[in-house]
Amino acid sequence: MIYLGIENLKKQGIIERYCLANNIIKVVILTPEKFAFKYDKTISETVYYPQIIEYKFFYRLLQEISQGTLIIINECLRTQNRHDLTYNCIRHYLTQTKHKIIFQYLPIIDTPQDFMTLFDFDTQSRWKREKFDIDLLQESEIVISKRDIAFNFIEITADDKLKSSYQAKKQKLFAEIGIKDPHTLPRNLYLIAGKAKLGHIDPSKQYLGRNNRFKIEAMHKYKQDDYPETPFTVFELPHNFIDYTDFLALSAQDEVDVLATDIKADQWYCKRYQEWKERLDETYTSLFNR
Amino acid sequence: MKPTQVYLTGKNVLDAARERINFVFDNFENIHVSISGGKDSTVLAHLALIEARNRNRKIGLFFIDEEVVYQSTVDQIEYLMSLYPENTNRLWLQIPFHLTNATSFDESQLVCWEPGKHKQWMRSKGKGNILAAPWAKEDEVIHSSKGEGILGFYDVIENWERCYENTAFLIGLRGTESPNRWRTMVKNPVNIGGENVYWATRKGKNVSMYPIYDWNFHDIWKYIGDQALKYSKIYDNQFMKGMPINEMRVSSLIHEKSFKSLCDLPEFEPKTFEKLCSRIKGMSFAQETGKDAKMFKVRKLPKNFKSWIAYRDFLLETYADAEKKHRFVNRFAKQLVNEFVARQQCRQLVLNDYENNLPVDNKPDPREALIKYYMENI
Repeated sequence: MIYLGIENLKKQGIIERYCLANNIIKVVILTPEKFAFKYDKTISETVYYPQIIEYKFFYRLLQEISQGTLIIINECLRTQNRHDLTYNCIRHYLTQTKHKIIFQYLPIIDTPQDFMTLFDFDTQSRWKREKFDIDLLQESEIVISKRDIAFNFIEITADDKLKSSYQAKKQKLFAEIGIKDPHTLPRNLYLIAGKAKLGHIDPSKQYLGRNNRFKIEAMHKYKQDDYPETPFTVFELPHNFIDYTDFLALSAQDEVDVLATDIKADQWYCKRYQEWKERLDETYTSLFNR
Repeated sequence: MKPTQVYLTGKNVLDAARERINFVFDNFENIHVSISGGKDSTVLAHLALIEARNRNRKIGLFFIDEEVVYQSTVDQIEYLMSLYPENTNRLWLQIPFHLTNATSFDESQLVCWEPGKHKQWMRSKGKGNILAAPWAKEDEVIHSSKGEGILGFYDVIENWERCYENTAFLIGLRGTESPNRWRTMVKNPVNIGGENVYWATRKGKNVSMYPIYDWNFHDIWKYIGDQALKYSKIYDNQFMKGMPINEMRVSSLIHEKSFKSLCDLPEFEPKTFEKLCSRIKGMSFAQETGKDAKMFKVRKLPKNFKSWIAYRDFLLETYADAEKKHRFVNRFAKQLVNEFVARQQCRQLVLNDYENNLPVDNKPDPREALIKYYMENI
């Protein structure tokens, strides 16, 4: 069974009820360390995401996982490659028992196809070669707590000096791109927009940025292991969607204010995230209509 | 294990293959099965041998021995030849011909079974094998791009086939391996006895036929398991190393598409590797760097170069064989100048592929479209 959008406290209750109803002897929780939670109602073992592929865990678990074992796959949607080695190891574990619960905060990283990794886990990979298909989704039991993601863009106008330095940097970066990854271009240019946002920092608020190059006390970064329970304003959006989905899963702050300048790279990122939100909503619609 | 694939008509691919082999025996007096020591040709040879035994007939098992092969391949061929000797014509060809050696510039061609070098051969020639080309030298046909008068692997096959008429050459190709293979097998159906046979192609005065063209890899393994056939132990080694079952293959050891097999050779067959190192140059280096992104894989640019174009120019400038250099120069002159193409040209140069067996995908660099997109949108 797949549970979407569930918070940690509720996960424990779901596991407990499942164990009681199915005479579960042991619970194995596969999870990234930062999403780990305690469960001590039954004998349990937590295996962190990087350990899933390690021989010392893999072969032992294959021997130990039996029909009395419940496997929890917690926030394990970490890559868009459906045939990733870690996913394949999880598939092996799942062949040992029919008992599994999949928890994931959002159904996708970037595109609806990402959901098929979760679908594979829940269906013994019977449709591993099939693409995201609303008819196929009926094969899986999915419990959805929909997250209404929202971006409130706070418009900021950059001054002419910053815009001309942006243009100069842009020309330099494109001239020197050589064989470098072209995706470094928007990443680097986006950082310039940060200077225009500095004047709009409110010391009473908490911010979220790619790094703390401006030495702002209330600046938090993506890839943190946890976030304080306080509203965040997005200073910069991350380039990789998974960094943002991790932030959402850890903070549960689905609606955020975003500082957005009129610099082109900034606008490009805002548009990119709006489109991402639309893909997410379309995925939810498909899941509800299956 | 998965059950054998079944058609909508209810017939499974094994029964379909048996019917095809019956058809071959009904329509051809002379039948040769090409074998390589791999799993597919093992299955095909067994299917054909069973039918030959039922009909009290003989078929030829045809193996071109490249000399530099796994010992397990040699063992497997010997096993197939000895399965039903009374129904087998032993067509084990051990004659000199050229093989591309992708791992050395000094010794870019290996002449397998080279006369006068028998002390260096990987092993001795076998008793009962065919040790001299059975065609007249003056009739020999050579198409390979290795050079004038140089006999290559495919030339051997062609000359062999030209020795026969009205012969069915059975080949264990399978369509699921690649669309190109499927196309090769079915694009030119042949009319045999009034029947349009879509799993065969005409080749001169003979016909190449593909009775297991619709099998999947799990059908092959199921058959081997059900019939308790022996198979090359390289598959077991590859399985133990974690290779996916549909990617496991027993290939040649040195040419530009398969030299990667060298990387695992010291683990799988240490003695074969030792013999190979003393047989031909470049083996040890290729074994160490065959999967290196900066060396034979040509995926990463060596740090001394700023672009693939610069690296390609360096490789061309320092190319060891002046005679073959002009082939690369002429070929590259007809191709686009961009980083995407230049990387592939580097690969040809590093692998010494002057025969153009790894063709360059000559198209605009996909990075350029991405850079253009960013130029307009950020």
